[in-house]
Amino acid sequence: MELDEFRTLVDAWLDADADELAPPFTGTGTLDEQMTQLAKVKGAAYDAGWMRWGWPSRVGGLGGSSLLRGYLGEALTRRGLVEPGGYSMVEVLAPTMIDYARPELAAEMVPRLLRGEELWCQGFSEPGTGSNLGALACRAVRDRESWRVTGQKVWTSFAQYSQRCVLLTRTGTPESAHRGITAMFVDMTSPGITVRPLGTMHGGAEFCEVFFDDVSVPFDRTLGEEGQGWSVAMDLLPFERSTALWHRSAFLNRRLEQLLADAPPDSLSATEVGDVFVQLFALRARSRGTQYRMAAGEHLGPETSVDKILLAATEQALFDLVGAALADDVVLGGDAVGEQWRAQYLYSRAATIYGGSAEIQRNIVARRLLDLGAET
Amino acid sequence: MMDAGELELFRAALRQATSSHSGKALDDALAELGWRDALAADRRVAVSTLFELQGQANATSSALDVVMAEGPVVLPPLGSCDQPTARGLGTYAFANSAPDGVVLRPVDGIDPSLGLVEVSGQLPRTDASSWPDALAAGQLALAHELIGASRAMLELARTHALERVQFDRPIAAFQAVRHRLAETLVAIEAAGAATGAAWDMETPMAAAAAKAVAGRSARTVAKHCQQVLAGIGFTTEHPFHRYLRRVLVLDGLLGDTRTLTKRLGEELLTTRQLPPPLPL
Repeated sequence: MELDEFRTLVDAWLDADADELAPPFTGTGTLDEQMTQLAKVKGAAYDAGWMRWGWPSRVGGLGGSSLLRGYLGEALTRRGLVEPGGYSMVEVLAPTMIDYARPELAAEMVPRLLRGEELWCQGFSEPGTGSNLGALACRAVRDRESWRVTGQKVWTSFAQYSQRCVLLTRTGTPESAHRGITAMFVDMTSPGITVRPLGTMHGGAEFCEVFFDDVSVPFDRTLGEEGQGWSVAMDLLPFERSTALWHRSAFLNRRLEQLLADAPPDSLSATEVGDVFVQLFALRARSRGTQYRMAAGEHLGPETSVDKILLAATEQALFDLVGAALADDVVLGGDAVGEQWRAQYLYSRAATIYGGSAEIQRNIVARRLLDLGAET
Repeated sequence: MMDAGELELFRAALRQATSSHSGKALDDALAELGWRDALAADRRVAVSTLFELQGQANATSSALDVVMAEGPVVLPPLGSCDQPTARGLGTYAFANSAPDGVVLRPVDGIDPSLGLVEVSGQLPRTDASSWPDALAAGQLALAHELIGASRAMLELARTHALERVQFDRPIAAFQAVRHRLAETLVAIEAAGAATGAAWDMETPMAAAAAKAVAGRSARTVAKHCQQVLAGIGFTTEHPFHRYLRRVLVLDGLLGDTRTLTKRLGEELLTTRQLPPPLPL
């Protein structure tokens, strides 16, 4: 299947099934409603075949270029059928399973994620290690039959809705740093796991604390080898900044369009609108290049930090403008439209924090792309 | 289309030409190596390669005239992107072949080595319908030249940061310096991507957006690199100042960032719609 044909067919499907696919709520909806909508759309897209394109047949896919996944997510996001954050978890976690899980495990699990039957989360950050991932402390020790995991994760998106977690644990000594980390695929129904959603300023309790109290994880759920967790993480993170980011840029495009439609006359200055527009133009141009590099089989690495820096700057520039031009909605609005603008405005404040902060991204660019040597 | 080997040779020849010649001498060198043939065969490669290298080498040539109008052309006044009517600017190529009735006044300005002239009087009449295409072609070329100059500034600042020792360590070890240089690279990459997208999209809007991004990026790059270069970068003993001068002129030709950005915004506010986005 070629991209142009796929584009035409997906668009035709989305037009034909627009009513059934549309969210049953206006505005952002509650997190529960969003998750139900996400599962519905993924299920329909899987049944129609679209969700399977771009994934290898060994995990239930139909093959073809990863560009097909890029387009599907873009189309679903642009039409407001899914929130890009929840939808794109597939793009982040499925490649990790394909590359690092036992083939039978990947074959069994990935289709469940693709068809929206399950949601997975990513247990990386900890209270003591926000940016310094290599210092994580959540401990896994070998028992006779399984790993026993004890510790805490935080900022785990959608943990309360997730059936599984891609978890990073400390299996080496505390001093082993990035060498002593092991990744595993954990059932969230395992005894000993407690999930506590965190209230956040934008409203939806998307981020969670997850507590592990002597949780048993079978050895065959190890992703990669013992001690290879750092590689798993380093291979996973660029996916947050590739297809997922392309989907997010489609979201920004949609919201800029909505801003143009909603903003009262004279509330927008041409210079400010133009400035956001050219930033978004550059972001999409950059991200598109990344999609093509990935589709050509290039290994994505630290250069995706450039994409993330551009995304964060563009998202905040757009919502800075929203905050000024739609101040009535953002500050005072009580209806669904106002609440959606407010939630998205507030969420954009975190664009320079989540997924590797603005500072960490610049550290990566300086060290890895500019080769400036070690920092003092 | 050139294959990889031909492209490599072409690039090497252009690098050699731009690093050793400027002005008329560079025009001669380009004629000798067949740049116009390359332009006819593969416009994107010929324009992007030459203008980036020209920007990097701080060289100049009459290639902008060739790209826009196959020959000497009157450019709009600084900042503007409208077709010039009463007065405008010309490159040294225009000055050397100005038709009768045109009044020329040399402009030294901030970047005398560019050899710009102010043009007034009876401007050569050109078909107004061809202006949008000429403008877009020129904007893309200038965007590449801005990117080339930006890369050169980054390289100067990076080298300095690794060599300059303060408090017993290279200043590249300090996060404040590192983040400025990171910001610089991000700006250049954004401009490079935007320019590439504009070649793919082939719309006047995309060329204007690419030029706006490149001008904006070049100013960001100049600001950060100047700060990293600090004292030495403020002297004429260091090449940085030449790039700063060049970037300020290049940004102003065929629409500066402010003008282009405002124009794009005005269009959006009129239609209240976004143009079709860059497709995957």
